[in-house]
Amino acid sequence: MGTVALVGGPRLRSHVPTGDSWGIFAFLCAALCNLPAVPALNGTEELGAGQSIQKTYDLTRYLEHQLRTLAGTYLNYLGPPFNEPDFNPPRLARAERVPSATVDLDLWRGLTDNARLAANYRAYSRLLCYLRGLDGQVGAVELRHRLGHFCSSLQGLVLSIAGVMSSLGYPLPAGPAGPPLPPGSPAAPNDFLKKMDDFWLLKELQTWLWRSAKDFNRLKKKVPPAVVTLRLETRGF
Amino acid sequence: SHIQYERVGADVTMKCGSMDWDAAVTWMANGTDIDDSHLNGSYLILKNVDLTQSGQYSCYEGSSWHLKYQTTLRVGGCWKKLDVKERGKEVVPPKEPVLMCRSNNYPKGFYCSWHLPSPTYIPNIFNISVIHGTREMVCEKDVFPKNRCHIRYLQLFSTVKYKVTLTVTNALGKNSTSLTFDEFAIVKPDPPESVVAKPVPNNPRRLEVSWQNPSSWPDPESFPLKFFLRYRPLILDQWQHVELSDGTSHTITDAYAGKEYIIQVAAKDNDIGTWSDWSVAVHATPWTEEPKHLTTEVQITDPVSGLLAETGMIDGKKTAGRGLNGAVWLISRAVA
Repeated sequence: MGTVALVGGPRLRSHVPTGDSWGIFAFLCAALCNLPAVPALNGTEELGAGQSIQKTYDLTRYLEHQLRTLAGTYLNYLGPPFNEPDFNPPRLARAERVPSATVDLDLWRGLTDNARLAANYRAYSRLLCYLRGLDGQVGAVELRHRLGHFCSSLQGLVLSIAGVMSSLGYPLPAGPAGPPLPPGSPAAPNDFLKKMDDFWLLKELQTWLWRSAKDFNRLKKKVPPAVVTLRLETRGF
Repeated sequence: SHIQYERVGADVTMKCGSMDWDAAVTWMANGTDIDDSHLNGSYLILKNVDLTQSGQYSCYEGSSWHLKYQTTLRVGGCWKKLDVKERGKEVVPPKEPVLMCRSNNYPKGFYCSWHLPSPTYIPNIFNISVIHGTREMVCEKDVFPKNRCHIRYLQLFSTVKYKVTLTVTNALGKNSTSLTFDEFAIVKPDPPESVVAKPVPNNPRRLEVSWQNPSSWPDPESFPLKFFLRYRPLILDQWQHVELSDGTSHTITDAYAGKEYIIQVAAKDNDIGTWSDWSVAVHATPWTEEPKHLTTEVQITDPVSGLLAETGMIDGKKTAGRGLNGAVWLISRAVA
């Protein structure tokens, strides 16, 4: 992390003028997220790949539940029409930058374990960046607190996926997380479009979490069971 | 006599026997003269016949009034009479139809089914359209049941909603309704199949329940189901519930001895959608011991010597006997 001048966290966000810098910020974020992830979990106890997958699966379920409350609150913060249940806007081209979980059925089925994990890793790395960007602009303290907590949990998920990949012997995806951003991609020209960006971000995040549950289900079956506990622990949700 | 059969709506041409086309003739129907406008030369032309034109047709030569030809015309065929009122049931335009869509075979696709809340008494045409974002998808009509169509997913994990619109039209009007939903929201499996409940031998408080994944669920490996079991003795109203995150069997361990139970199971995708309807109910009673008087193992002590006289299976009816040393013994209480 030494050579990067910008430090992630509140300091970075305070330098970012609101409403004008989405593209620039996202680019910086991608650069930050390009940094090598924490090396494989040597410090923790030796988990069989099966257990790591189970833990990652549990984490996606936990995040999905957290997100439901968080998204509801955030959309209310954005106000109508974003918080209306029938809101069904057309997907604008600018929304394509957020990694989408949508995939052809046969393609999804045919993914190798490596590709499946890598897709998840890349997606959440980018989503995490975008989400951290959200945090900086929110006025309400309660909401910032919730967003911050969610970001931490999401980071835990990224690390968990990295752990699974290394325990299976797969290299972590190198290069910028996800497809390179188009140069000079337009920042949201107005407040409404900025809110649209936020709306799609939350939607894609939610869909990714649903997809990941299925991805990790498939991985569970394919990894030779070391110590695999299939019974879910109830966490009060 | 000659009978001629024609279909409703047909055009009928009758020739006056062997008379030439340009002969002068008079046609009569059921004893009434037929107007010349229906004649083409000596031929009688009846266009678009209806039932009322059935009857006897006769052709007479012009001046002599000789009967040259006679036939009975019978007009018939299939047709429908539209009554405004039919025995108190009024023919009406359609009310807003009822539409529902559901995915019981995720991730393959989903189906939509519809019906009218009340009958119109005339034929209705249903038209369904499915729009996913900017794309229009084709919902293939099922052969059976009739008011149903299905769609295959091309993409999975979509963030774009589906909009299904149903329009119903009949001769008196039209109506429509629509549904908008996310891919995940309509996932609802069919209930589990082949639910079986059996008593467990020598366990008066247990019942072993097993079931199978619904056959419509295509991929339980990648899309596992979790289950909800409910059971109660017939004599009580309160259900007991157990949620099971894997496996297709469960042993109830707290059944009331000797009471008949009713048991049902429901299924849900592990992560998305809603619970299925309850399965068909099965009944079972936990194992109970055989009544004691049939076979009893008894130990008898000789009342005189105090020694063990005889052990073994004894017909329950026998309550007295002679011991090994000749002493008489009596059974006052059987010991199982």
